[in-house]
Amino acid sequence: MSEKPVIVNFLGLNFNLTNCLGGTLMAIAVFALVYYLSRRITLKPNKKQNLLEYLIEFTNNIVKDNVEDEDAQKHLSLYAFTLFLFIFMMNQLGLFLEFTVNEHVLVKSPTADPLITMTMAMMTLLLSFNFGVRKFGFRGYMSNYARPVGFLLPINLIEEFTNFLTLSLRLYGNIYAGEVLLTLIGGRLAKSGGLWTIIASAPLTLIWQGFSVFIGSIQAYVFVTLSMVYIGNKVTQE
Amino acid sequence: MQFMFAALKLGIGDMIYYLVIFAILLLAVKHFAWGPVTDMMEKRRKKITDDIEQAESNRKKAEILANQREAELKDSKQEATQILSTAKSNAEKTKQSIINDADSEAAAIRKKANADAVQAKKDALNEARDQVADLSVAIAEKVIAKSLSAEDQKDLVDQFIKGLND
Repeated sequence: MSEKPVIVNFLGLNFNLTNCLGGTLMAIAVFALVYYLSRRITLKPNKKQNLLEYLIEFTNNIVKDNVEDEDAQKHLSLYAFTLFLFIFMMNQLGLFLEFTVNEHVLVKSPTADPLITMTMAMMTLLLSFNFGVRKFGFRGYMSNYARPVGFLLPINLIEEFTNFLTLSLRLYGNIYAGEVLLTLIGGRLAKSGGLWTIIASAPLTLIWQGFSVFIGSIQAYVFVTLSMVYIGNKVTQE
Repeated sequence: MQFMFAALKLGIGDMIYYLVIFAILLLAVKHFAWGPVTDMMEKRRKKITDDIEQAESNRKKAEILANQREAELKDSKQEATQILSTAKSNAEKTKQSIINDADSEAAAIRKKANADAVQAKKDALNEARDQVADLSVAIAEKVIAKSLSAEDQKDLVDQFIKGLND
């Protein structure tokens, strides 16, 4: 991979333009999608409304299955819905669009960068702290780490860290591997032996893109589900 | 060390950017799509619940009405049977009274006829007796040419008729 990110320094912080551009584009895409689907909301749903309600029901079910607390459910359903659509879109972005200018890649899947998936996982982590503290109070929340027995305290603390890491790195690994293989097929293999390899790589790319769409959807689902599982664990007393 | 710091800096910029983007996206989605749609879903849920409840109560009402109607139907059937039986017994009574009336009337007529006949026979006999008396007087006058008193004559005829009757 010879792609170099475009990094801009602003207010003493470095912004990776590749990530920023991709994320912004996909945020706009998600908003455009739900905005388009949510026009003319009626009691008797039309086709667009049906699709949107199906998506909402889908993420709501993820939340309901994993979070038992009713109050937390209410707050989490919107988060799950937006998170699912956002991650799904970001996963798919790199599959059909990779925009490179002078060896500098401008648009690719932002979730193929561990920083972005860690940001997402960090949001989930902070939310789980928030819900846990809100439910049990600070003292009660802290004492939950020593449950069900005291000597599990270090393991529970480590689990917190590993949950965060696995959540983010699973998503990153899947999407990154997909992108790498896609680049390898499209970039290296196709250009390796002239016309013959270009023709041969076309169906391979097609198959791998299809598979990556599948992986991207599954990973978005897994990410949201696991987020809800972690938060659900925090709001239920063991 | 410098490399680590650079990496950290690189991360924080993107992280903040993504957090901001996600927050904005969350608010926008909530305001434009999530809110209205979930409201509408809730409304629909309420409406469906109401409709089901209403249907249930309507069904109960209909059941009560049907039962009532059935009871009424049974009642009216009973009533009809009663009316029919009353009418039958009434007719029977009327028939009996008519027959009785006719019988008694016929008996009276027969009695009267008998009496009339007896009277007529009596009258006829009397008349015949008188005529026979007159006739025999006339015959006797002519035959015996001797004046016989009417009294004696009558006694004679009476004896004669008594002989006839016996």
